[in-house]
Amino acid sequence: MTRYVMIADLRRCVGCQTCTAACKHANATPPGVQWRQVLDMETGTYPQVQRTFVPVGCMHCADPPCESVCPSTATKIRDDGIVEIDYDLCIGCGYCAVACPYQARHIVHKRDLAYDKQAMAHEEARFDEGRMSVAMKCNFCQSRIDTAKQTGQTPGVDPEVTPACVNSCIADALHFGDRDDPNSNVSVLLAENQTFRMHEELGTDPGFYYIWDKNE
Amino acid sequence: MSTIKKVPQYCYQCVAGPDFLTVKVEDGVATEIEPNFALADVHPGGGKSCVKAYGLVQKTYNPNRLLTPMKRTNPKKGRDEDPGFVRISWDEALGMVGGKLKEIQAKGLHDPLGYARVAASFGGGGTPTYYMGTFPAFLSAWGAVDFSFGSGQGVKCTHSEHLYGELWHRGFTVAADTPTTNYILSFGGNPEASAGVMGITRHADARARGAKRVQIEPHLSVTGACSAEWVPIRPKTDPAFMYGLIHAMLHEMPRERLDIEFLTNHTGSPYLVAPNGYFLRDLVSHKPLMWDLKRGAAVPFDTPDIEPALEGSFTASGIEIGADDEEWQHEEIEVDTAFSLLVKQMAEYTPEWAEEICQVPDGCIRRIADEFVSHAQVGDTIEIDGEILPLRPVAVILGKTVNNGWGGYECCWGRTLLACLVGALEVPGGTLGTTVRLNRPATTRQASVIGGPDGFMQYPMNATDKENWQEAPTARNAHSTLVPLSANSPWSQALGPTHLAWMFRKESPENWPAVSAPDLWFVYRTNPAISFWDTKAITERIAEFPFIVSFCYIPDETNYMADVLLPECTDFESTQLIRVGGTKFIESFWDHEGVALRQPAIKPLGETRDFTDIATELAARAGILDKYNNAINRGAAGVPLRGGNYDFSLDIEQSHGAEQIWDAMCRAASAELTDGAETDGLDWYKEHGIRTRPISRLIWYLFPELRKKGLRFEMPYQEQLYRVGKQLGNRLHEKGIEWWNEQLKEYEPLPPWKDFPGIWEQATVNSGGALEDYPFWLLTSRSMQLAWGSNSSIQMIDEVAKNMHGHRAVVMNTGRAAEMGIADGDLVEIKSTLRSTKGRVALKQGIRPDTILIQGQFDHWVTPFSKDNPAPSMNTVVPMSLALTDSTGSSADIVRVAVHRLEGKA
Amino acid sequence: MSRIEPWHQLNWDWRAAGNFIGGGSGTGLLILAAVAAGQGTAYWPLGFFGAILVGIGLVCVWLEIGRPWRALHVFYHPQTSWMTREAFVSALLLPVALLAAAAAAPFIHLPAIAGGAIWLAALLAALYLYCQARILHGSKGIPAWRHPSLMPVIILTGLTEGAGFLVLAIALIGGFSVWPLILLFILLLGRWMSWRRYLANLTETGAPNKALAVLNGATPMINILGHYGPAILMLLALVTGSLGPIFFALAGLAAIAGGWQMKFVVVARAAFNQGFALPLTPVRGTGKPGPGDKPGWNKSGQ
Repeated sequence: MTRYVMIADLRRCVGCQTCTAACKHANATPPGVQWRQVLDMETGTYPQVQRTFVPVGCMHCADPPCESVCPSTATKIRDDGIVEIDYDLCIGCGYCAVACPYQARHIVHKRDLAYDKQAMAHEEARFDEGRMSVAMKCNFCQSRIDTAKQTGQTPGVDPEVTPACVNSCIADALHFGDRDDPNSNVSVLLAENQTFRMHEELGTDPGFYYIWDKNE
Repeated sequence: MSTIKKVPQYCYQCVAGPDFLTVKVEDGVATEIEPNFALADVHPGGGKSCVKAYGLVQKTYNPNRLLTPMKRTNPKKGRDEDPGFVRISWDEALGMVGGKLKEIQAKGLHDPLGYARVAASFGGGGTPTYYMGTFPAFLSAWGAVDFSFGSGQGVKCTHSEHLYGELWHRGFTVAADTPTTNYILSFGGNPEASAGVMGITRHADARARGAKRVQIEPHLSVTGACSAEWVPIRPKTDPAFMYGLIHAMLHEMPRERLDIEFLTNHTGSPYLVAPNGYFLRDLVSHKPLMWDLKRGAAVPFDTPDIEPALEGSFTASGIEIGADDEEWQHEEIEVDTAFSLLVKQMAEYTPEWAEEICQVPDGCIRRIADEFVSHAQVGDTIEIDGEILPLRPVAVILGKTVNNGWGGYECCWGRTLLACLVGALEVPGGTLGTTVRLNRPATTRQASVIGGPDGFMQYPMNATDKENWQEAPTARNAHSTLVPLSANSPWSQALGPTHLAWMFRKESPENWPAVSAPDLWFVYRTNPAISFWDTKAITERIAEFPFIVSFCYIPDETNYMADVLLPECTDFESTQLIRVGGTKFIESFWDHEGVALRQPAIKPLGETRDFTDIATELAARAGILDKYNNAINRGAAGVPLRGGNYDFSLDIEQSHGAEQIWDAMCRAASAELTDGAETDGLDWYKEHGIRTRPISRLIWYLFPELRKKGLRFEMPYQEQLYRVGKQLGNRLHEKGIEWWNEQLKEYEPLPPWKDFPGIWEQATVNSGGALEDYPFWLLTSRSMQLAWGSNSSIQMIDEVAKNMHGHRAVVMNTGRAAEMGIADGDLVEIKSTLRSTKGRVALKQGIRPDTILIQGQFDHWVTPFSKDNPAPSMNTVVPMSLALTDSTGSSADIVRVAVHRLEGKA
Repeated sequence: MSRIEPWHQLNWDWRAAGNFIGGGSGTGLLILAAVAAGQGTAYWPLGFFGAILVGIGLVCVWLEIGRPWRALHVFYHPQTSWMTREAFVSALLLPVALLAAAAAAPFIHLPAIAGGAIWLAALLAALYLYCQARILHGSKGIPAWRHPSLMPVIILTGLTEGAGFLVLAIALIGGFSVWPLILLFILLLGRWMSWRRYLANLTETGAPNKALAVLNGATPMINILGHYGPAILMLLALVTGSLGPIFFALAGLAAIAGGWQMKFVVVARAAFNQGFALPLTPVRGTGKPGPGDKPGWNKSGQ
C-alpha cells in the first residue's frame, strides 16, 4: 500500500511563507484562500516565551471527517491516502468545512481579485469557474503525484512530482513521501525523529507529521 | 494548443541574493514562480528563491503599473500638489531628459558650490544595479554624479558594521561560518528574516545538527524564535552585555582557555602602548614595538624569530607618533602591551555591572561566556583544500540597531574582540566578513588584503592630515570630510552619512558650506519619501529638487515629485547578465563563481522599455555615446568585453540594442570563465541561465591570506582610529566647527561603555519631552516578506505576510497592555516628540514590557494598494538630528514614544 | 495575522440554523400530531404545518449550498453521511406527512389512510430529527456541535417545540385537554436538563472559550424565554380561567421561541472551530522542548 504524508520539521521552519506563496502559485488560489499556510504561534509567558512556525493545511487524514460527512461523495480518499475533492460532484454544502478540525477547507462564492480594478492577465488565464462555490483544499498537488505513476519518478524525491510547497521550502522543513515504504525519505525521518500530529486526540489519523526533536 | 515554457531567471530584490528560479509562462502569460532545481548544485540555496520572488508575477501584471512615459504638468511640488502627470511619447520624455543633460553639460558638471549637478539615488543596498542594465555605464560615462542622497542608509542598514567590518576584517557585513559553527551569539541579528535563502538554509541545517544560537534582543524576532535561547535585553545596551562577557573571559577564566597563540601572533595585542595612547615605535623605522621574551627587549613587530609578550608591563624606549605627526621620544619608560591595557579597561565591566544596565542576570552573562569559550575548541584544526586552519566553531553576529548609530562602534569592536579572544575571527566555524565594498580591489576579499606599515591590513581612510583633508565636501553628505572610515570607493558616497545631505539641504550648520539641490536627480527602485527617518522632512526636501527623473514601475511617494516618469521593463521583461558566486553581501558563501542571466520571459507590457535601451538612448541624446560604449567595453555594466584572448567590444560610435549588448556580455563572460575556450552568447544563457566554475572554499576565510602575508588583525587597540579622530578634530576646529565634537569623542583606542540609551533619552528631553511621558522604546524589525523589494504594494505578499504576528500592527507586551487597558486589535497612537503615527495593537508575550515594535515602512500616501491598507510607520516619528548621529554618520531605528489608546478601530 | 485561536466558522449561517429550526420544530410537531391523533385531537392542520416547517428548513439549506442545481448529489452518500440520510428521510417524510394531513383533512377524510400515515410520518420525523442531531455531532471541526451531549438537546428541543405548537394550536382551535400541558411541561423540564447537562459536559470536556462565552451568555435568555417563561405562563393559564387560552398560546410560543433561540445560538453564534494547538514546542538546536498550548480553549490538552 501507499500512504503519502507530509512532514514539517518545526525545528527548521522560519515562517517565511514561501510555501504559502508557492502553493498560491501552483494552485492559483484566489486572494485570501491559502491551502498551505504557516502559523505564527506564541506559547509561554514573558520572559519564558517560545514562538513556533507551524505549516498547516489539509492533513489528508486516514479517517477524514470531511469524507464521511460529504453527502455527494465529492470528497474521497484515494488509495494512496490523498483526500481529494471532485469539483463536479461537490454541491458546496459546507458540511465538510465544519467537519474538518483543521480549518483546511475553503468555499468561495464570489470571484475576488488581487486588485479591485481588473483581473490581471495571470488571474484571467487561470480562473476556474469549476472551483466557484465548491469546497477547495490542499490536494498534495495530486496531478504531480499522478504524473509520477507515468514517469516512474518518486514523489518527495523528484521535484517534478513533489508538492509545490515542499519544493519551495527554503529551510528544507517540508518533506513528502510514502509512509508505507519503510525506505522512503519520510519513513527515515519518522524513524529518526520524534513527531506529533495536530489534534491527534480527535482520532482522524492525520497524514501530516511535525518533527520537534531527534530521537533521544 | 497551449504553450508552456519555464524560463530561468535570477531574483536579486534584496542583498541576500541572487537566488534562482524559473518563471512558468503559459501562452505568453507568466503564471508561476518555481525553484530552478537544475541549478541546485551550484546555488547555496538549492536553486530556490524566497517568498518575495513569488510576488513578481503580481508585480508584472499589477494594474497600477505605469506603462507609458509621463510628464508633470503642475510645476509646484509637494505632498499636497497633484503632479498632474500626462502621458507623453518616449521621444518627448527622452528629449526632456536629454535636453536637461545637455544643458548641464553646457554649464559644467559641477555647480558653483562644487557639487555634482547630477545626483542619483538607488535603494536596496545596491541591488537596483542588477536590474538597471547598462545604466551604470551611462553614469560612468557621464562622470560627476552625487550618490549621497540616501534613502535609508545609515539608519536602516548595518552601517557601523560596514565601516568597522571593512577596517578589521574586510567584512562589509559579518556572518557566522554557519555550516561549521556550533555556537552563535546573535545580538539582534535577524538572518531568518534577512539572510535570504542561503542564510536560512545554512542556519536550519545548523539547528538540525544541534548548533546552539543565543538570541539577545528586546523582542522575540523570527530569528529569536528559531534560536535555542532568547535573552530579552534592554534596548541599546548590547555593548554592556558584550563587555560583561569579555570581563568574564579576561578576569574570571584561566588565561589558557583563550587562544593565546592567535592573540599573540595574529592580532595587535602584543604591541606596546606609550603614555599618550599611541604605539611605542622604533626610533628609526617607526615600526610599532613588541616585547620579545626571548631577547628580553622591545623589538619592531616584524623582527624574525621573536617570542612576543602578550601581556605585561615592560621598560622600553622608543618614539610615539600622535596626530598630525606630533612626536614624543621616550627613554626607559614603563609601557603596557595593548592586551594588558584591554585587561585593565575591562576590569570594571563585571557581569554584575552589566546586569544593572542590560537588565539581564549576571549569571546568564557568565554562563554564556563559559558556553562561548567551551564551544570554541581552542587548539583544534581543520583541513580545507589542503590547508590546515584553526577550527573555532563559535561566532558572534549583530543586527540592525545594534550595529549602527551610537553604540555601533562598541558593538562591532566587542564582536570582533570576542572572536579574537578565542581565535575565531576569519577561520572555519568563526565570525566571517562576507564581501568588500570599500576596500580595493574589490574583486575578492583576499585581493583587498594589502599590508600596511604597522603590520595590519592597509585601510583607505579619507585623509585627515592638514595637507590632504577634503576641506570642502564634493559630495553633499560630506563623507570624505567628516567620516574617514567611509573611504573613497564608488560605494563610499552611499555609505556616508547620507541623511546629512538632506539635513544640510535645509540648513547648513555653523561654518559649513551650503548644500545645493541637484539640477537633475535620477531615482530608481528607491522611495526615500517613506523609507528614511523623519520622512516628512525628506519629502519636503525632495519637493525642492528642480528636475527629477524616475525610472518607475508604479506611482509612489518619491516619484510623485518627479518631472519625468520613465517606465522600465520589470524583472521578467528585460535582459541583464550579472556576476554570481564567491562571497556576497549577506551570509552568501558559494563554492562556485560565474554569471547569471535575467531575460524577458514575456513581452513587455505597454510601452515599457528595457533599461539598457533607455540608458543607450540617454547616452546618445546627451552626446556621450562613445564614452558610454567605452564604459560598457571596459566592464562598467558587469563584464569587460575584452580579455587576454577574446574581444567582443562594441563599436563605440554606434547605438546598440539591448540584445546585442548582452550577447556581447554573455560571450565575454563565457570566454572569461573558460579562459577563452567557450564563447557562448545570449541564446545559450537563455536556455541555461548561468555559467559557473568551482572555487576553493578557502576564499570564505581571510585568516589564510593574512597568515600568508604575515599580517595581523588590527585588534584590540585602535591606535589608527585614535589618531585619525584627533586629526579630524584638529581640522574641524581649525574651521571653527564644533558641532561634530560629540562624534569626535567616539575615536577611542579602547572604547569605554557610554550610556547609549541615555543618548536617545536625552534627545527626547532636549526636544521638549519629559521622559516619563515617553516611557516606551519603539523599535523595528525586518520581515522576510516585506524587507526590500518595495513589495508592500503586492497584494499576495501582503496576504501571506498577514500570517505573521504583528504585520501592519504595533507589537506590544500583553501584560503591559493589560495594565494600560489596551486590548489586542485596539487602535493606538504612537507619539514621539516629533509627531505621531497610529495603528492596531498586536499583543505578544515575546517583547519587553518597555518596548514596542513596528515592522515595515508603511508611510504610503501615494503607492496604490499600500496607501489603502493603513499601518503605522516608525519613520514618521523618528527624528533626524546630529545629536543622534554617530561618528560613522549613522543612527539607529529607535526612539522614545508614548502609547495611547484611541477610540474605534483602525 | 493568521488565526490560531478558534474563530467562528464561516460556512453555515442563519440558513443552516433555519434548517435546524424548521426541521426540529416541524418534526416535533409531526410526532406530537401523531400523539394528538391517538388522543382524538384533530391533527391534520398540525401535520400539514409540520411538513411545511420541515420544507422551509430544507429550502433554507437549498439557499445555502453553493451549487443548488446539483442538489440531487446530496443523495450519493448514504453509507456514512447523515446529511444524505436526512435527505432520504425528508424525501419520504414530506409526502407521507402531507398525505397524512390531507387524509385527515375534513374535505378529503380518508381515515383508513390517515391513521397509519400519521404514525409513519411521526416515525420518519423522529428519524429526521435524529439525523439532524447526528449532522451536528458529525461536525468534528466545531467543538460545540460535535459534543454528544448536544444530541439530546436537539432531539428534546424538537419535541418541545412540537409540543409548543400543539399547545398553541389547541389554544387557538379549542378542545382543551390536560395531557398536552403535562407533556409540554415534561419536555420543557427535559430540555432544560439536557441544556444544563450539555453546557456542563462541554465545559468539562473542553471547548473554545468564545463558544462557552456565547452559550453561557445566551443561557439566561434561553431559560427565561424557553423554560421558566412557558412554565410560569402555563401556571398562569391554569389559574386565570377565561384568560387561560391566551396564556396557553403564549406558553406554547415561548417554548417554541426558546428552542429556536437555542438552536440559532448553537448553530450560528457558538460555532467556533477547533483552532490550532501544539502539544509541545520544538527544540531549536539544543535544549528541551517547551510546553505546548491550546490557545483560546478553556482547557488545554483536549
